[in-house]
Amino acid sequence: MNTSIRRRALATVLVLFAAAAALFAYASSHSTTVANGAGLAPAQTGSGENLYNGKRGGTLTVYDSEDFEHLDPGEAYFALDYEIMYATQMPLYEYLPNNSTTVSPMLASGQPIVTDGGKTVTVHIKDDVHFSPPVNRLVTSADVAYAIERGANPNVANPYFIPYFGDIVGAAKATGGPIAGIVTPNATTIVFHLTQPTAILLEGALSLPITMPVPESFAGPLDKDKPTQYGTSSEVFTGPYMLESTAAGKFLGLGYQPGKSATLVRNPNWNPKSDPAPAYLDRININIGGASQVIGLQVLKGSDSVQNDTPTNANVELAYTKYYKQLYAVPGAGDHYVSLDNAKGVFSNVNIRRAAYAALDRAAMVKVAGGTIVGEVATHFITPGSAGFTQSGGLAGPKYPWNEYPDGNLTVAEKYMKAAGYPSGKYTGSQSVKIVGSDNGNSPEEAAIVKDALTELGFNVKLVLVDQSVMYAKYCGVPAAEVDACPEVGWIRDFADPQTILYVPFWGPAITPTNNSNWGQVNNPQINAAMVAASQVVNPTAAADAWAKVDDMLVDQAVAIPWIFDDQPNIESANVRGINDLWDVGEWDYGYTSLDNP
Amino acid sequence: MSVQVSLAGPDVTLGMSGEDAGDIVARSPTALFWRRFREDRVAVASLIFIVVLVIIAVAAPLVVKLFGLPGPYVQNLNLTNAFGEPLGPSAAHPFGVDGLGEDIASRVIYGSRVSLEVGVIGTGIATVIGVIVGLLAGFYRGWVDTVLSRLTDLVLCFPTLLFGIGLASACALNGCFYGLIQPGVPVIIAIVVIFGWTYIARIVRGLVLSLREKEFVEAARSLGASDARIMFREILPNLAAPVIVYASLLIPVNILFEAALSFLGVGVQPPTASWGQMIAQATPIFNIAWWWMVFPGAALLLTVLAFNLLGDGLQDALNPKAD
Repeated sequence: MNTSIRRRALATVLVLFAAAAALFAYASSHSTTVANGAGLAPAQTGSGENLYNGKRGGTLTVYDSEDFEHLDPGEAYFALDYEIMYATQMPLYEYLPNNSTTVSPMLASGQPIVTDGGKTVTVHIKDDVHFSPPVNRLVTSADVAYAIERGANPNVANPYFIPYFGDIVGAAKATGGPIAGIVTPNATTIVFHLTQPTAILLEGALSLPITMPVPESFAGPLDKDKPTQYGTSSEVFTGPYMLESTAAGKFLGLGYQPGKSATLVRNPNWNPKSDPAPAYLDRININIGGASQVIGLQVLKGSDSVQNDTPTNANVELAYTKYYKQLYAVPGAGDHYVSLDNAKGVFSNVNIRRAAYAALDRAAMVKVAGGTIVGEVATHFITPGSAGFTQSGGLAGPKYPWNEYPDGNLTVAEKYMKAAGYPSGKYTGSQSVKIVGSDNGNSPEEAAIVKDALTELGFNVKLVLVDQSVMYAKYCGVPAAEVDACPEVGWIRDFADPQTILYVPFWGPAITPTNNSNWGQVNNPQINAAMVAASQVVNPTAAADAWAKVDDMLVDQAVAIPWIFDDQPNIESANVRGINDLWDVGEWDYGYTSLDNP
Repeated sequence: MSVQVSLAGPDVTLGMSGEDAGDIVARSPTALFWRRFREDRVAVASLIFIVVLVIIAVAAPLVVKLFGLPGPYVQNLNLTNAFGEPLGPSAAHPFGVDGLGEDIASRVIYGSRVSLEVGVIGTGIATVIGVIVGLLAGFYRGWVDTVLSRLTDLVLCFPTLLFGIGLASACALNGCFYGLIQPGVPVIIAIVVIFGWTYIARIVRGLVLSLREKEFVEAARSLGASDARIMFREILPNLAAPVIVYASLLIPVNILFEAALSFLGVGVQPPTASWGQMIAQATPIFNIAWWWMVFPGAALLLTVLAFNLLGDGLQDALNPKAD
């Protein structure tokens, strides 16, 4: 290249870069009014909101960077899927948006009746609920029975059928056909017979999507496909809204285009007298895809829209400082913790686990996650809003030395390292510690804090960051991968029963070779026995106490390191009167949301 | 007018005395190269930049200490606001801090190590392999050339970035090949080597095909020189110039490749500082933490530009006829 041409090219590139950098810096000049370390007043939580003073009409636009996993009530087990399910279907029971502890009858006409020492549960259903076209007819108890029974069909494979419905007589061996323990003596009555007195658990489970009625005449042929086509291409609905469908009930390509959009329209057969939801909106358009940062800015500065994902920290701050009324931080949105491999490696030693617990700066992890607006430092595993939370010590948690210092305490940590057989207080062994974290959002920083804490204790730490789905599917959820710690595993309760928070993640027999949710491979015989005993307590108050005791045992054994009780931040446009479901990690409830100027 | 000639050695000087005297100096190829290179100020500036960068990378701990900066892995969450967002440039942190309160200037300095390791070492090994393959293919021709050329074509067909992502992901936790390739920088160097040798092999093969027909090769053969001697003592020195030029242009490509892998999350793992990884982490909050992206981005830009301009300058200096 000719020298003078090269010089001109270089000068041009450098000038362009300097100009771009200056423009960048100017455009993004940002001064936060929130000083470092200043205490923040809480954001709105959504609780106490008036659910019934909205205006009818209008179209809401929902921006969702993630797609749904399942739209079949028999398969859905994901917070985003629940948003569609509970707007378009009627389960037996449901939590009202501003109540995360007590269910209200939805398809059921009253509370469940428990008899036979907790081994029989009877539910009566309403006689004025219809399916959407093309089925149109009245919903009967047989439709609810079929909905639950199909959960055992391998083509449906409901993920919580065995944990929550497995005690129904005949359910353990069911494969999709009739289950002996589910009886429908008439069109409006359904009776569950249990092998054990676990009625409390079943009652809670009756709020899950699997209880949303499914007509066998319509779904049966679709359920013969693997996977079922019910909820994949076609479906009928009982709620105020439905996925826009053809006359034959097919929504794929019309009301749902995978990866692109979904559209909810009014269900012509919905009976407003049998559903407490006011259903103000005429239509909900869901746009799938896009960058969260950009979506957030669009929603805050635009109109008629909400963001369905967790906003970035930057947008949470922007909303808090400039659009306060458009931000909610919904409590009880689950928790996150650092799983520690209890079965193998360095963390199989309880004192080393206690040392790691004491050393970790949990407050720093909450700060990088977004600060006190998005959560509080966790001190045990039962989350706020669930029975047993207060009995577990509330926000302060159980009183153990390793649990007393949210900012981390190296002195206490070293004390437990000494108890583990390392007189210097630091690890001097040859094993390295493998940590696998997520590379999404703030997770890399959270993982770096965990690594820092373990390094201070003398461990040689190998940290790998991968996509969140890979983190679970290939590493943390696979015992054979021998990962010592996963800093960002989390759990959301299935319903307001502490068993749904503690059982699957910490019960020994729940360990599976793949898709394992007991990430730490916790298999403590005393804890296992305590859980089984707690699951059979019939009295709700006594059950909460029993599960609180299990929670205490988990912290005592430092099976994992809880670090945040999540609050879910949500943002909406200025003219949207959004209602969050406090029981479902704050997801938008389309049955109650409205627009100020439809 | 008299002419004085000194035949003492390579530096032959012809001088002319008298009113119109001027020195005509015959120089060696090396001297000629340096004279032409020195005249190119852009190339010289690029070389100086690269030398300074190498010194900074090698002496990173000293440089950081000299500037009074904290180490690259020192977390200080007091330097983030209540929402966990980093604070901008200040006297104590001239380039600002990142989401963990780590000093960005310090991390940019340490990040140069990763870029140079991958760029220089990866390119060096790939160059050696490419030269050997090209030399053998061009010299022997026949079935040797066929096999090696087809192998080259096969490797060229692989989608480099996708394969790199896959390999880096697969080797992320426990390394690969029974631990021979460890996660992090070694994996990236391995990927650069696996895919980087092919272009040099092709170029060298083409040059060797023409050089093997030259008289000096025929002369060496007629004197009884072995194939190895002909290849490495006769032909290889003539390849030095183009190989050096091409290698210098390959270095910035590999630096960008490492940055791309780290940006995608499969390169160097945190907390090891890498420019690409820093840019990736800054992307979600680019609108409020511009420093986190701009400074590592500038470092990457200037480094790649310097190597490219150096390569250009070397080409001009080594082969002026190419102009």
